[in-house]
Amino acid sequence: MKKYLLIFCFALSINCGFSQIKSGEKLVFAASYNMSGLMTQLAQVTMETETIKTSKTSYLHLSCQATTFSKWDSFFKIRDLYESYVHPLTLKPSLYKRNINEGGYTKTEKYVFKKDGKTVTSTSKKRNKPETNSIFTIGNSTQDIVTLIYKLRTVDFKNFKNGQTRSFVIVFDEKEIPVVVKFMGKETISAGSLGTKECYKLSIGARTKVLKGKDQNIIWLTADTQKIPALIKFSIPVGTGQLKLASASGI
Amino acid sequence: MRQLFLVIASIFTILSVIFAFLPLGTLAFIPIGIALIFGFLTLKKSDMRQSKWVKLFLVITVLSLLIVVGKAIFITDAVETDQQFDTQKRESKNEAQKELEDLE
Repeated sequence: MKKYLLIFCFALSINCGFSQIKSGEKLVFAASYNMSGLMTQLAQVTMETETIKTSKTSYLHLSCQATTFSKWDSFFKIRDLYESYVHPLTLKPSLYKRNINEGGYTKTEKYVFKKDGKTVTSTSKKRNKPETNSIFTIGNSTQDIVTLIYKLRTVDFKNFKNGQTRSFVIVFDEKEIPVVVKFMGKETISAGSLGTKECYKLSIGARTKVLKGKDQNIIWLTADTQKIPALIKFSIPVGTGQLKLASASGI
Repeated sequence: MRQLFLVIASIFTILSVIFAFLPLGTLAFIPIGIALIFGFLTLKKSDMRQSKWVKLFLVITVLSLLIVVGKAIFITDAVETDQQFDTQKRESKNEAQKELEDLE
């Protein structure tokens, strides 16, 4: 009986697009920023997954950290940490934490996703300002930004047609933001230590001031079962940049 | 015209030196390129007696170019071990574990 139950769960996880994100995965990216037309490497971005066990259950800890290269530290030091604790299979978030330190500007943010799936308790603190607490409601499928990156990797793009879209909702800065992901076909690009890979090209569009332009925020995911982000190009109000995969381990 | 070229060449020579020592990577090629172009233009318009300063600017610019190329080849981008950040990450994880326990 147990065997059949296991097979059923496995089949369900494939058909329902359940998580295929492994614990112990580590992706390292080199982040570059466009300065006067030249891409300048500024920081290292590391995305890691890890299983966290509590007395009753276990969570998948998704973390994303940005650290400036040492040569930049004395000019503009960045130490950003974005974390999300999600259900290992459904990737439903339970806790989201953001701790940023960018050239002395600090901000911490914490969202606790209540069990009802609709309420979020938020705690936020900016440099030189008192801590603020608030409670707000979200949609059932709303997730944080870190979870979205991983959730995107669980989408089956095999049968997607050019221009086909998929909608998501994220919660960022205590606001719900609709995000539309547009499939733009396949491209073969360099994927760091993985070599040259055929990738799904996806355009990310969001109704927010953080992202600029149409089809200027693009992510390339390897067109295999792992869907590793090989390249991310972004356009923000202060310029453009990219995150290029340098190494991938534990995949 | 020579005076204008000389002023531009001198400004961009100074910028080349500054950019070469800052961690701006290949971005330093921009002031270096401009300094070289205007340096050679000034040199073309100068007689033997006037060329002393221009030659000095050109030497400084070429040295800046060598520094930038050397840095690009020999210095690899690396992240320093940050004890404070590592502690912060550890504490954040421990704190999260307690919060998740409370959620249950």
